[in-house]
Amino acid sequence: MARLLEYQGKALFKRQGIPVPEGRLVQSVDEAMNAIDELGFPVAVKAQVLSGRRGKAGAIHFAEDRDSLSQAVRELLGKQIQGSPVEGLLIEEKAEVQKELYMAVTADPSTRQPVGIFSPKGGVDIEETADTEPAAIFTTPIDILRGFYYYDAMDLLRQVGGLESREMLTLANLFTRLYQVYREYDCKLAEINPIALVEQGAMALDARVDVDDDALSRQTTLDIDFAEEAGERAATLLEIAAATIDESDHRGTVHFVQTDPDASYARTAGKIPVGLDAVGAGTGLTIMDELVPLGYYPINFCDSSGNPVGSKFYRITKVIMAQPQIEGYLFVSCVSSQQLDNAARGLIKAFKELYPRTGGQPNIPCVVLFRGGWDDVAVDLFREHGISDGRWIKVLGRDTTEKETAEIFDALYREWKKETGGLQ
Amino acid sequence: MRALEFEVRSGGTIRIDLEKCESCETKACVKMCNATGMGQILELKDGVPALKHSLEEVKRGACTEDLGCELDCELYGNRAIVITLPVSKLDDYLENSSEQPTYLREP
Repeated sequence: MARLLEYQGKALFKRQGIPVPEGRLVQSVDEAMNAIDELGFPVAVKAQVLSGRRGKAGAIHFAEDRDSLSQAVRELLGKQIQGSPVEGLLIEEKAEVQKELYMAVTADPSTRQPVGIFSPKGGVDIEETADTEPAAIFTTPIDILRGFYYYDAMDLLRQVGGLESREMLTLANLFTRLYQVYREYDCKLAEINPIALVEQGAMALDARVDVDDDALSRQTTLDIDFAEEAGERAATLLEIAAATIDESDHRGTVHFVQTDPDASYARTAGKIPVGLDAVGAGTGLTIMDELVPLGYYPINFCDSSGNPVGSKFYRITKVIMAQPQIEGYLFVSCVSSQQLDNAARGLIKAFKELYPRTGGQPNIPCVVLFRGGWDDVAVDLFREHGISDGRWIKVLGRDTTEKETAEIFDALYREWKKETGGLQ
Repeated sequence: MRALEFEVRSGGTIRIDLEKCESCETKACVKMCNATGMGQILELKDGVPALKHSLEEVKRGACTEDLGCELDCELYGNRAIVITLPVSKLDDYLENSSEQPTYLREP
């Protein structure tokens, strides 16, 4: 999933005729001062990060004059909001809001079709509303072949109650435009929270647009970097680099996500950060389950599937090993039909380049487990290239379980730590 | 220098130094490339490796990028093959990282 920043989402809304407050994206105090000459006070100063609940996180300020604007810009730029650095601010006219509402179109996996969602309780977390006040959420399934029309939106809004006729007409019009955004940009979610009723009608005060990453190849105008879904935060540079591996090569896939990009969670929990590559997502989860109780935390998840070519394994190994916090590495395959000798060649080439002085023998504890097609050849290749002779690597074959693999890694790590004292 | 150089599907190049190949006794790269499950794009021509397919076909995916030619040449041949496989944006990450990766540090 590729999530757009608020200002990008609002640009799409504007293109479809959904009113948004007049605003400017700025990256410095000087730019903010120039923007205010066009916008005038008061303004909202909003950090452009992908995480939700920005209001609660202190990512939205209001400014009445140049001093308070300058202070807000200085305070927000460069700040970390829920792990994401603030690189841009949206400065926009502050709207005089009479009522805040919620409107969205999203995909409903249970019915395999889009669903329109409306709530009179806008401006708050919709998941929270769903829990505490389910009666305040109104939905309508949308037949994707038929489309979503003005009268469909009116049917939904009539159920809400408390809306004046004029408000319903305005909102129904916006609802159909929001559906157009959803369809035209291949969204998984197009959400306005809040949509504000103002004197001149209604406008989107926020925008959340999640684009289906399978459609990015045809959404070239959006100019967004593809990366695996990483929840509420923006993709890291390393995740973006990893996503390029599959970009022009359909032969197998490598899915890479940093579960703990700066290893802060691992450190706080008293765990040792390690890098992980798994052939098969289930094996990835199983080895995680075995490693965590022993005191290790994989700070990335990686699943190589569909019999990737050796070059993909080479590239993803370099990506995983680029994480500066890792104190160990594991490659674990399920009993797979993949041609594991190719996986081995990818790993061997990467190790030899990363550790040229030792001929590929790593300086941190590494455990490599081959189970499946050509696993015996894979094990032999590590031996032939002299990497298995390394002090801090164990190359295992198909008789080894995930539990045993984790235990072997644990023993190797303890020995490494005792003997070397760990990395400098 | 006489060389065979071609591009591969994923974005990268394979370069074979044919002068080194002339004195190679094993031609390990050709054997490996033609083993079961491998790319099967190399053949011997005038005593040195040559492509069985056009450069376009190789770039479209005829080369399965198993890396066997380079690794076997290193072990059993004359170290004549260099496969270059850039990882787009990885250098940006490494340059912007405040810490060095572990492979550059000493335990």
